[in-house]
Amino acid sequence: MVTFAKRYEDAPEIWGVGRLVVDAEVTPWPVAQRDIDDEADSLAPRLAALGLEPGGLVLVVAMLSQAVHAVPLERAAGKVGALYSSADATPFDAFRVAALTRQLEPQVVIGITGDVLDGLVGTGRDPADVLAAVPAVVTADDDAHARLRADGFSPRRWLKLGPTSAIEGLAEDGPVYDASRWRVEEDDGELVITNVVPRYTDADRLRTGVRGRVVEEGRVSVS
Amino acid sequence: MSGRGRRYFSPEIETMPRAEIKRVREERLLGDLLPWAYQRSALIREAWDAAGVTPDDVQSMDQFHERVPFIDKDAIRAFRDRHRDPYGGMLCLDPKMTEVFSAIFSTSGTTGDPTPAPYAGRGPSMLVREFWELGCRPGDFFTYCLFTFRGPGIHDTIRGIGATPLFVDHQPADVPQLVRFSRELRPTAWYNLSGPLVLAIEQYAAAEGTELGEAFSSYRGVTFAGEPIGPRTRRRIEGEWGLELFVHTGVGDVGAATECREHDGCHFWEDTCYLESLDPDGVEPVGDGERGELVSTTLLDKIAPLVRFRSDDLVRVTHEQCACGRTHGRVWPLGRKGDEVVVAGRSVLPGDLWAAIEAVPETGAGLFQVIRTRREVDRLRLRVGYATDSARGTADLRTRVTESVHEAVGIEPDVELVANEELLRQGPPHKIPRVARQ
Repeated sequence: MVTFAKRYEDAPEIWGVGRLVVDAEVTPWPVAQRDIDDEADSLAPRLAALGLEPGGLVLVVAMLSQAVHAVPLERAAGKVGALYSSADATPFDAFRVAALTRQLEPQVVIGITGDVLDGLVGTGRDPADVLAAVPAVVTADDDAHARLRADGFSPRRWLKLGPTSAIEGLAEDGPVYDASRWRVEEDDGELVITNVVPRYTDADRLRTGVRGRVVEEGRVSVS
Repeated sequence: MSGRGRRYFSPEIETMPRAEIKRVREERLLGDLLPWAYQRSALIREAWDAAGVTPDDVQSMDQFHERVPFIDKDAIRAFRDRHRDPYGGMLCLDPKMTEVFSAIFSTSGTTGDPTPAPYAGRGPSMLVREFWELGCRPGDFFTYCLFTFRGPGIHDTIRGIGATPLFVDHQPADVPQLVRFSRELRPTAWYNLSGPLVLAIEQYAAAEGTELGEAFSSYRGVTFAGEPIGPRTRRRIEGEWGLELFVHTGVGDVGAATECREHDGCHFWEDTCYLESLDPDGVEPVGDGERGELVSTTLLDKIAPLVRFRSDDLVRVTHEQCACGRTHGRVWPLGRKGDEVVVAGRSVLPGDLWAAIEAVPETGAGLFQVIRTRREVDRLRLRVGYATDSARGTADLRTRVTESVHEAVGIEPDVELVANEELLRQGPPHKIPRVARQ
């Protein structure tokens, strides 16, 4: 197995070293280019289910350290025939979320967190105004989900399930993961995950930190 | 660099003779870029039509200098507002062409709304030359410490030299992982370090008892960007942390420039851009190595080409060959023209104050702002950040900062002291606004 490049003409097998975070514990997580490509293939239908169309745009709000989860979403946009844009999920960069939402009119904004909402409020912006024209708003934590619900939105959820993502569709019937690539089980109320197709780094009943249950194969609910 | 193989990534380009650089410039600019930009960029066409110029009138570099009109950020903003065009009339292609574009990124937005920038990149950027000079080689790990909104270009460039990126947020909260990944994976290069991140790393190290020289011992080179680095901070990082820093700066929104191991100016790549250094208050070029305003023209960017863009950046530029053997020009960033204040007839830029402020231990982080009510002022007013955990308190701090600045620039300032954290809150993660306009 070639892990590292020996010449610059050969890209290294590891696409990058991201991380998984469970209960504040950080685990470095190397992934290969083929993992990113396969996750993008898997996530494209999720973005389409949120209403992303060819020629449209999804704004992905995340951190660079979340590249293992965010980059497949970005690549998935291309597979839908759409564009993507990016902003950091920080209070400071909330101004960018506001500006890009106004300028680019995304069909989907995914990754809104409580920090982002704090940043909007802290700079005198009402999140309800900023996101009002966005057809599908997807949150990345419980804080943002609860606050946007209180504001009258119907936000969907983006869950990081180990190295993959589960994304709720417009029907609001729970986050969807790709059961052809991942097996999700419950272990004492927590979801654990196993890859059923090859990945550079194997997950074997890996803790996700997500409290919830498997509603049906490919769909979970969170508690 | 012993044991790291050849010196240059692209030796045939990085050391090409000056005559060849000029030939490439003329071929790309006159034969290709200008007609394209005039035909497709609404802003360029508007500016050229107003000046009564067409590409047929520009067949030589002399004609380029005589006839091509300038554009600047105000012109782009005015076009944006007039036409409700978020791209300011710069775009030469429809951003919805998904067969060309994959994404729309944005500028940092430090001074206002971020400007969206459609991305058509495929693969590594010109930064492969810089990353190679940092000492990174195939098989190495490379610390990629930045933001999301810059897009995949840096990632593709790291992989473009055969290295593997480690993703780290350019945030104080991620310093523990920066230190951990540095220790465990032994990366050889790091893009980017900034003043605010230096402060966060020092606070973390003090709280945790971290020996930074040991934690960072695998690095062969680290870029420093966002804003200038003060001499005292640089000595501290290079001495106590053991890092070799490479100052990295943007050049007029058409590219980047980075120090080589000679640390004698930042190389810009003249096969990708044409930089002029002009009288900041006029149109004449200044001499080699003299202070001027950077005016930039791309040679490659056909998406949103800037042509004679008055950047507002004050610089020194030389085309003298560097001791490293590279033949491309070098630039020294001095500050923003719009940041200059003239106090009793004396010009002062934030960069003139840096060393004096960081020389005082409590203000050693170099966090300060010039309060600018207008360009010409009677008094130099400064807002200076200080470390609130200093044992000495603030009893005579204002006096010591005042005296240090007075000694450096010959002007006695009015100093307002604020906690470092208050200034850090005003900026993006890698810099703060150095001028507060009132």
